[in-house]
Amino acid sequence: MRVVLRVLSALIGLAVAAAGALLVLEVAWAWARPDDAPLAVPWPRWRSTLSEVDWSSDGVRWTAVGLVVLGLLLALLAALAGRREVRLADPAPGITVVTSPRSLARLVGHHVRAADGVSGAAVTASARHVRVRATSRMRDEATLRPRLRELVGNVLGGLPLVRRPRVSVVVDSPKDRR
Amino acid sequence: MSRRSTAAVTRSALGERGGLTALGLLLVLAGVAALVVGAGWLGTFRARRPLLDPIAVDWLAEHADLARAIALVLGLLALVLGLRWALLALRQEPRPDLVLDHTADSELTVTAGALADALRADAEAVPDVTRARARTVGSADAPAVRLSLWLRDGADVRAVWEELDRTVLGRARSSFGTPSLPTAVRLELETAERQRVR
Repeated sequence: MRVVLRVLSALIGLAVAAAGALLVLEVAWAWARPDDAPLAVPWPRWRSTLSEVDWSSDGVRWTAVGLVVLGLLLALLAALAGRREVRLADPAPGITVVTSPRSLARLVGHHVRAADGVSGAAVTASARHVRVRATSRMRDEATLRPRLRELVGNVLGGLPLVRRPRVSVVVDSPKDRR
Repeated sequence: MSRRSTAAVTRSALGERGGLTALGLLLVLAGVAALVVGAGWLGTFRARRPLLDPIAVDWLAEHADLARAIALVLGLLALVLGLRWALLALRQEPRPDLVLDHTADSELTVTAGALADALRADAEAVPDVTRARARTVGSADAPAVRLSLWLRDGADVRAVWEELDRTVLGRARSSFGTPSLPTAVRLELETAERQRVR
């Protein structure tokens, strides 16, 4: 997401710079030689088109809707490009330790898969929430779920996390389908 | 102090995010304004007037020189600001050298590369650390270190965390003689090497 943000920023910056350069070029050209044709931008044609279209026309409405959607997308991208690191406690003043949500999920998944009766697990994690989805052939959800919750709680408790994430466990077992 | 180490965790994207948010909101406002005018909420007469309003065109024709001057200034402003924004986005994150002693007749500097190599070697000596990467970040006035450690699958994260300050950073601090070096550490767990089934 951050790479997209950076590339998009560079492209928008270049586009703004190019538009500014064209504006300067055309205005200076038209000022110096008012009777000549424009250099690169066919602005007299644009002017005649714009003076024929009125505000309530369909083209203007769709363009406006497009602007709103594009603006919302850009704002959404900017909002999503925030930091997602999981903070660990500072071991000493002046030292900040973080880990990635993916690493936290890997660590939890490693312990869950090693647990008795679990045949597979998928874990997603963030600084606030750890979600475990385990599959089991031998145990049903009622017996396995509290054990896994406790296990994940212990794993997280063993880490020097600044903020203890909430844990939710779902067990998918053929025993529950009978 | 700890704010410097927190800032060193990752390259800041605040400028880009702020700029993009502002641009997005500007586009939304422009679109909504056009829709409002087109829907006739500012008067049905206004909605039926052309985009390039004759009144505005007349005004511009009367003040042609002023309008041209303003357009030139706006164009130059867009050129400069746009290039600046693009360059800031594309610029490499700086790696400042660490100035230890800066008096009138002597100057002692640890280059960014030397510091990074020393930290990396120390960090890779810690048990459970498979790979390490270090670099300096920030500015020459306020340098900081970003240290990324990759841990073996099944590593004892708490043990590594406790070792960090004592061995890795403690050694760097004592060998370079700096009492404090703001440091951000990124711990990453590697996936287990899958065993091939024959």
